[in-house]
Amino acid sequence: MSELIRLESIVKSYEGNVVLNGIDLSVSENEFVTLLGPSGCGKTTTLRLLGGFEKPDEGRILFDGKVITDMPANQRPINTVFQNYALFPHMNVGENIAFGLRVKNKPEQYIKDKIKYALKLVNLKGFETRKVDQLSGGQQQRIAMARAVVNEPKVLLLDEPLGALDLKLRQEMEYELVRLKKELGITFIYVTHDQEEALTMSDKVVVMNEGRIQQEGTPEEIYNEPENAFVADFIGDSNIVSGRMVEDYLVKINGIDFPCIDGSEQGFKPGRKVDVVIRPEDIEIRPYGQGIFNGTIISKLFIGMHYEMLVESEDGKIEWLLQNYVQQEEGDRIGMYVKPENIQIMHKPRSEDEEAIEVDI
Amino acid sequence: MKKTLANIYILIIMLFLYLPIIALIVLSFNESKSMAVFTRFSLKWYEELFQSELMMRALINTFSIAIISALIATVVGTLAVLGMNSMRTKSQNALMAFNNIPLLNADIVTGIALMLFMLILKIPRGYGTILFSHATFCIPYVILSVKPRVNKRTDKLYEAALDLGATGKYAFRKVVLPELWPGIMSGFMLSFTMSVDDFIITYFTRGAGINTIATLIYSQVKVGIRPSLFALSTIIFIVALVVLVIINIRQSKADKDNKMAFNL
Repeated sequence: MSELIRLESIVKSYEGNVVLNGIDLSVSENEFVTLLGPSGCGKTTTLRLLGGFEKPDEGRILFDGKVITDMPANQRPINTVFQNYALFPHMNVGENIAFGLRVKNKPEQYIKDKIKYALKLVNLKGFETRKVDQLSGGQQQRIAMARAVVNEPKVLLLDEPLGALDLKLRQEMEYELVRLKKELGITFIYVTHDQEEALTMSDKVVVMNEGRIQQEGTPEEIYNEPENAFVADFIGDSNIVSGRMVEDYLVKINGIDFPCIDGSEQGFKPGRKVDVVIRPEDIEIRPYGQGIFNGTIISKLFIGMHYEMLVESEDGKIEWLLQNYVQQEEGDRIGMYVKPENIQIMHKPRSEDEEAIEVDI
Repeated sequence: MKKTLANIYILIIMLFLYLPIIALIVLSFNESKSMAVFTRFSLKWYEELFQSELMMRALINTFSIAIISALIATVVGTLAVLGMNSMRTKSQNALMAFNNIPLLNADIVTGIALMLFMLILKIPRGYGTILFSHATFCIPYVILSVKPRVNKRTDKLYEAALDLGATGKYAFRKVVLPELWPGIMSGFMLSFTMSVDDFIITYFTRGAGINTIATLIYSQVKVGIRPSLFALSTIIFIVALVVLVIINIRQSKADKDNKMAFNL
């Protein structure tokens, strides 16, 4: 896949607040890229820079090899599906979809065909004359998609398009979006704070925080191999604990040695302080004394698919979060085991800011 | 019991508010000049009104000033709102505070101030000065009714239009203006009624020999009121009533639209 968009060391600040602090990002043709992060992380600003609604203070934006940093929004071959859709309220569905085509003075017959095609694409056949305020949230979302894609953009920007929908509809729309993306064969750049959306739909997830890219990779990489505590904590539930490398492939956590699969090769030299991520579903329950470490169950919650348990280590210093299908009672003493490949070793954060991110279990 | 009392209470209030006006309307159709007895239904005072050149000229002045000054105020006020929209929130709030002062200020102060201003600059007072003054005091009302329509939502719509390839001008005309239109219309209507209604400011800014209905009635009071003035007042009341009803219908329709937009 060839590169379509490139952001080069983008810096942007508003009234002295640095919102983007050196963003480098490359997006390939036909890729589904998700910018993921908490509110205020700079993901929406990044999208607005791409759409042409903001200009970076530093850095440049390339599209198909050409610099478009100063190109106004109405000349970019990019269309946006806005948060809350921004459908034109005094126009009906057909007029909304036709807007971009009318601007370009396309012939009426072409416009008519395009509206039909777009409505079919988003499964809303025959909605041409409906008023916008008669549509449900999900339908508005589809119309916003239709209005954008009739212009045949090379890139579609989506700003939390599912944010206003309820859970069930959101899950349906996730499948819809993936299907649309396949049918259109264009690049999607998607912004969300919902990690589930990001993991389900994307080819590439870009985790952002405080104006910086924390990690980019496939959903699997992001989930299984978080590069720092922020990513590990933001994506899914996790146990993040401090440890020290004893030797290659052995890490000491709270006085107990855990075999792992990282060593000097990955940059974790013996003696080095590290952060360790263990996903709650990766902690296996064994009879007491037969695992690597032991603990006492201090609380238990049934949350539908499985039980979620808090287990206190024997010296009382660490609480581990476990997810398991097997029910245990509070007060039970259990042994626990973690496969070496399920122990993710990370570098300690460099800045103090990142250190301040406390992990809540 | 409680309900009946409540209804009686409302009835009394309504009577206090509208009985005098009803009396005025009834007397305007009275044949005799008496203000005490209704002798016979007649349109003769309306006839006299429409035949009196003095009154007709005042009528024309009143409404032409109202329409033109409302138009000027609407254009200036709307442009002001659009300008304010690109300012920072702090400056906007400061400007809105300044905008609200003339609304609360006593008309007499505004009137005397305007008169003084014209005297100092040696501007001859007449039709033009009334027009100018009316446009001036109507602008804050327009700003007040258009401002709430320009918000994050209209900004987003504007961006959406640009995103779809529209130029700034096209986006404004096709997308933003229709959103502002109800506010602009009620601003215009409000200005129109304020202008028709005004006496004090007109009194201080008019020149000799030019009258609006309000100043004419005032000068007639001194020589004794003729029932044709009742007829005139009735017409003004009806016009104001119609305009107010239109504003209210528009407002409630706009509110409904807004609610729908926010419920999405």
